[in-house]
Amino acid sequence: MSAVHVPSLTLPGPPDGPGYLVEARDVVKSFGETPALRGANLSVARGEIVAVMGPSGSGKSTLLHCLAGIFKPDSGEVWCDGQRVDRLDETKRTKLRRQCFGFVFQFGQLVPELSTADNVALPLLLNRVGRKQAYERAVYWLARLGLEGLEGRRSGELSGGQAQRVALARALVTKPTVIFADEPTGSLDSLTGEMVMDQMVDSARAEGATLVLVTHDARVAAFADREVVVRDGLVLDHQIVGVAG
Amino acid sequence: MVRLGLQLTLRAGREAIVRLVLTAAAVAIGVTVLLAVFAGYHAFQATSGRACWECTQAAPARSPASHLELWNYSENIYQGRFIEEVDVAALGPDAPLLPGLTKLPGAGQFYASPALADLLKTVPRDELGQRFAGTEVGTIGYQALSGPTDLVAIVGYSPPKLAALPGTIKVDHISTTKDVQGTTGIYRLAFGIGAIIVLFPLLVLINTATRLAAARREERFAAMRLVGATPRQVNLIATVEAVVGALLGTLLGTGVFLAWRPVLASISFSGQRFFLQTLTPTALGYAVLIVGVPMAAAVASLWSLRRVRLSPLGVSRKVSPPAPTFWRLVPLLAGIPLFVVPLLGIRNSLNSNNPQISPLIFVGLFLIMAGLVMSGSWLTMQVARALGRTARGGSALLAARRLADSPKTAFRAVSGLVLAVFVGSLLAAIVPVFSYAESTLGGNAASLTNVMRAPYDAGPGLELPPARATTLVRELGAYKGVSVVPIYANPSFNAQLMFGPAPSSPTGSHHEPAEQGQSPGGYAQYDSIISCASLRQMPALGKCAPGVSAVYANANNDILTDNPLEIDMPVVTANNPAAPSNTAGLGVGTLLVKANSSATLEKARTLLTLFDATMPMSSAGGLTAWQMGQLEPETFGEMAEIRNNDVTNAETVALAVVGLTLLVAACSLAVTAGGSIVERKRPFTLLRLSGAPGRTLYRVILLESLLPLVTAALVAAATGVGVAIPLVKALPKLRNEPNLALPGPVYYVAMGVGLLVALAVISSTLPVLARVTQPDNARFE
Repeated sequence: MSAVHVPSLTLPGPPDGPGYLVEARDVVKSFGETPALRGANLSVARGEIVAVMGPSGSGKSTLLHCLAGIFKPDSGEVWCDGQRVDRLDETKRTKLRRQCFGFVFQFGQLVPELSTADNVALPLLLNRVGRKQAYERAVYWLARLGLEGLEGRRSGELSGGQAQRVALARALVTKPTVIFADEPTGSLDSLTGEMVMDQMVDSARAEGATLVLVTHDARVAAFADREVVVRDGLVLDHQIVGVAG
Repeated sequence: MVRLGLQLTLRAGREAIVRLVLTAAAVAIGVTVLLAVFAGYHAFQATSGRACWECTQAAPARSPASHLELWNYSENIYQGRFIEEVDVAALGPDAPLLPGLTKLPGAGQFYASPALADLLKTVPRDELGQRFAGTEVGTIGYQALSGPTDLVAIVGYSPPKLAALPGTIKVDHISTTKDVQGTTGIYRLAFGIGAIIVLFPLLVLINTATRLAAARREERFAAMRLVGATPRQVNLIATVEAVVGALLGTLLGTGVFLAWRPVLASISFSGQRFFLQTLTPTALGYAVLIVGVPMAAAVASLWSLRRVRLSPLGVSRKVSPPAPTFWRLVPLLAGIPLFVVPLLGIRNSLNSNNPQISPLIFVGLFLIMAGLVMSGSWLTMQVARALGRTARGGSALLAARRLADSPKTAFRAVSGLVLAVFVGSLLAAIVPVFSYAESTLGGNAASLTNVMRAPYDAGPGLELPPARATTLVRELGAYKGVSVVPIYANPSFNAQLMFGPAPSSPTGSHHEPAEQGQSPGGYAQYDSIISCASLRQMPALGKCAPGVSAVYANANNDILTDNPLEIDMPVVTANNPAAPSNTAGLGVGTLLVKANSSATLEKARTLLTLFDATMPMSSAGGLTAWQMGQLEPETFGEMAEIRNNDVTNAETVALAVVGLTLLVAACSLAVTAGGSIVERKRPFTLLRLSGAPGRTLYRVILLESLLPLVTAALVAAATGVGVAIPLVKALPKLRNEPNLALPGPVYYVAMGVGLLVALAVISSTLPVLARVTQPDNARFE
């Protein structure tokens, strides 16, 4: 792994600054008549790894989506690196997600027609990075996550663990400030899930990225520096389980 | 299981209903167009196959008197429209009856076609009605007519009166041979080609519609497998779903067609509207559609499931279809010679009464079009692979990989448009060739557009006699706004025709004066004499030399040509030799009549028509005026227009075919693009969530449609123009038109507009993309 050359990459992103990197303040979000978040608060420090736990339907995924600028809260504030995310229009939120965030979902996130190398290079191509550089970065990240030789495979030809690691490579390839992971091991067996989590946490720490992961699995949450529990649309308690960065 | 299938189709929530409605709507559009094509073809067959009563011949001398009837056929014109008139008088109790009549008109009565009856009600009698002697007593049935716009009159006479008219013959039966016109073979060929052209995209549309949102449907089927459904049961449910949608669409399409049929009947097709009675598919046509379309839908649905492994764990293991190979070019390469070779020998056949068109031509054409569709996916794959190797942006990469992965699916959506391009290119290369031969009057001849010519030259010595000519000119001159130029027959010219060239006589005729410059032969090389004073009323004909009162000219022959483009203008110049100034004793070969309004022109025509009836027309050999090619009074503009009609009609047919193809293909494209968005909701939404801008996904959708379209359209255009060359060579020549004219600007504009329409259609699905990928709507399991 150490022998792999790391191609340089320059992407525009938010400047470094003191305090929390990501914050939700009294966030309220409903879907029709159904309330999902009822005044949720969460602060995540730069480089911190936070696990958001809770039972199904508690609002943990909604909280993650609000933090990531996917959902616009009905009320409350969402901050990221000093800017009000909830006040940004869709175009600016899209740009923020593309340039500063990385995403890993439970499954079905790879474009089936693309090879693994294409899938990983895609965010860079969307960011107008040159083709050669984009594929060099993609191959580098695939190798770093132990996926050498699979560059030409399609998602249908990968195991669940391999597909999640390709998704992780895709999330990391843009050198994001924050990685949002929603049940990243939900569709994997425990061994494979553990391997994926290992690589995700190691990579995030190595890249200095903040990781917000949603899970209902205590073993996954154990990888985080801190756990928060969401219940009935509220963030109930905080628990430090490790040391950031 | 069928019941469950019905329940899942009809009562499985909003999505199922939306899918059903979309499928039914798309199938309905296809079925409506298909029925219209069937109906048009049936109507055309009925029209082109109607009995040609106009072709009725004189009876042999031994015919029984009880079956005889006097018959006099003539043609007339009203405002550029032909009127057919048959004057009849029964000579016996079993006199033959014309089709469309229940009994022959009595003396002083006439039957009119519906269109003529309408005209007679609205047009002043001296402009039209006076041309038909007697009282209108009924309407001619559609059996005798080619369409509702036909102008026909069947006029009853007393036998002595009709027998006295020139051109009257005795007949003992009405001809029932088919009404084959010069263009029938061409139209039949065009209809066959058009039907195939429209049929293809229709099949694509119906196929696409029944497979709408296949991925979503397959997920549902996988869930059913999970709870224990066997593959056979899943297939049955899929079949039920497809059949219900297609059947609803077929019934809806049939209803729309029936409602739309009167509108269709009002559209002029091949220059002629069809009767509502004939504009209907046959019972077999209806049966084929009502049974065939749902069956085809069921087959298409099962075929689409063939490549999907529906395990209880889902449909993720999709068997990739094999990549198209070079063999897909074979039908195209085989179709071209099959189409071209039989064409090389059919020109004479197209001109005959019973045109024989080799079925190989249609097989060849079918193969060419099938080949374009089949090779399109191979071409798409090649171009997509090339693009994938060089793509610099996310959208280009996504589109290229998708296209390379499933080129058949991608190309299927645009195959209809590619066929439209093929047809458009084929026609664009053919039509200019005929436009070259037939175009409207231009230059000096343009001023003759509203000048009517009345021919009276039935042969040497058979011109309008001087006294009658004087009367006619005087009567015509009585109409305000009418000017007349009589073109007199040159007696020397006639004498030469009848008796051969004069030996060395100083004068060829007693009319010739001893004027300076006069030829010893009386200028027998000129067929006519024109008064210079009358010539001044129509300056386009030319001008005499100063001081000359009449000139010799070659006018009669020239002006009687049936193509006004061939008249050498001016007819008279200062070089024409002077003729005797006294024209009083000369017979008139042709009258040129100019009127200051169309109403006055028709009044003059009415007068000429009635006057004409007393003319000593030749009826040598018992031929009717129709068979002798009698020239009715018509303007030069009308002549040009009538000649131009074939080209105009061909263009109308072409536009109808291309328009229908575009309509169907555009529907197909919209259904496919929309379906593809719905099927890829998850990856597209995730891309949006990951920061892919909406415009990137828009570009993906546009590229996925445009890349195969443009690639295959270029090939289709080249093939269309290439195939046009032998086709043009095969069709009967009207003049010395070239074998190929490159498509004109209209073609390029049409192709550009077609591309814009395709863009617009694809763009119309983009709001769907925006809606389904909206981050706020995202839901993840």
